Amino acid sequence: MSRTRAEVDATLQAAKLRASELLPTALSLRFGPGAQCCLLELEPALCRSLEAGHSLVIRGEKDEQAVLCSGDKTYELKVADTSNLLLCVPGCKTPEQLAREAEPPDLIHAEIFGFANNYWELRRCRPKLQKLRRLLMKNTYEGPDSPKEMDSNRTTYTTEDLLDVIQASKEEIMSHLQILNACEIGGYWRVLEFDYEMKLLNHVTQLVDSESWSFSKVPLSVCLQELGPLEPEEMIEHCLKCYGRKYVDEGEVYFELSADKICRATAQMLLQNAVKFNLAEFQAVWQQSVPEGMVTSLDQLKRPLWREADHRCLTHEILTVLRAKWCEGVQLPKTPVLEQQSAWGRGFAFLFPAPEGLFSSAHWYCAKKDRIKCFLLSDVRAAVSRNSFCI
Amino acid sequence: MVQIVISSAGAEGLAEWVLMELQGEIEARYSTGLAGNLLGDLHYTTEGIPVLIVGHHILYGKIIHLEKPFAVLVKHTPEEQDCDELGHETGTTRYLVTALIKDKILFKTRPKPIITNVPKKV
Repeated sequence: MSRTRAEVDATLQAAKLRASELLPTALSLRFGPGAQCCLLELEPALCRSLEAGHSLVIRGEKDEQAVLCSGDKTYELKVADTSNLLLCVPGCKTPEQLAREAEPPDLIHAEIFGFANNYWELRRCRPKLQKLRRLLMKNTYEGPDSPKEMDSNRTTYTTEDLLDVIQASKEEIMSHLQILNACEIGGYWRVLEFDYEMKLLNHVTQLVDSESWSFSKVPLSVCLQELGPLEPEEMIEHCLKCYGRKYVDEGEVYFELSADKICRATAQMLLQNAVKFNLAEFQAVWQQSVPEGMVTSLDQLKRPLWREADHRCLTHEILTVLRAKWCEGVQLPKTPVLEQQSAWGRGFAFLFPAPEGLFSSAHWYCAKKDRIKCFLLSDVRAAVSRNSFCI
Repeated sequence: MVQIVISSAGAEGLAEWVLMELQGEIEARYSTGLAGNLLGDLHYTTEGIPVLIVGHHILYGKIIHLEKPFAVLVKHTPEEQDCDELGHETGTTRYLVTALIKDKILFKTRPKPIITNVPKKV
């Protein structure tokens, strides 16, 4: 039986509360049948996302820390206990809400839906994307004629498959696929084998050279026409997308090729096969190897190049080569910052500024035990401290 | 990997509830449990202070607008009928966002006992 206003008033009197000091509306609270409910704490952006009708997904293997993903962000999910009782009350109005009503009732009956002693807490975290690179590197794409493509035992991943194994939001995964220069081939995401990617790039740069085009105006249709007989059209277009910016001019599709990206790739290619180089020699060969008209600069190597068959960050290779003789024997202050597990075994990263004249701004050295193995350029150090790159 | 979807009906389907936070525990007087029983009466003073009368106690609280709202999630587990012909479960565990909570009423002061008047002798 529901409480009546008269009963409420009687209780008020017994409690010696004066009706004149209270709002005219009272709420009678009753326990509902009881329901299992969870409380999820939201940051305002997530709240707005739910109000817009978007879903969230909890992802994780049984032995992993669960994460919660929205369309574009990843959060660590933890259960926070509270010693207080949290009651969820539908239909309960605050004085503010009552004030907005034209004719507030004198009694509202509200039923408690459920209660909890804890709630789910979210903490924004870095998406777990290293697994993405690892999985895709197991089966790199070497071209349609490669015997690898005939082997049905090799694992391939569609977008849905990736969402099933990577603890990250869809947008973070797609963004990372772009960074990896991954290509969707036959519905599956593939990372290109480096030599194959260079082969495609060489076809394009040689064509640009033979046609005397400007690097900022490379016509897609002619590329496909001329290079189509050599490589699949999708791969030529993919190469142009990775190394250039697409635009349309008078109905024709063109690509503006990025000198920085092409010079970096060339450096990577040279260093991959290098045994030893000194800095000056490397710079000379490098400049000669890039397409005519492009200018190389050590600044282009600042971002780590991190695709290598044996998982080493290629920056190590570049920087080993750039080891300048005048650094040997120089006493520099050392501050061990991080311990890295790498293909070279355990090493320590020591951070200290470079001597004058080597580079224009402060750079970092990565040392394997006491031997100075290579430099880590400043941007790499920032990336390492953000813990988003594997070394 | 497990993927559990938390789906939302969007602003049209999401009610706004209020959270009441109480210290301690609530016990039913009788062994029949809490369901269906009255908790108490909630009033507001003219200054907007919530007053809760539970049994023989009065509690004064305050209304807090939550910086981080809560979503109330209700779990849906696959039912027996969610099976295909081979008897495999086609449904997966999901959560449904039933409501959002943007305000809470916090009662953390010690409850004051209500002393009822001793009836006067006639």
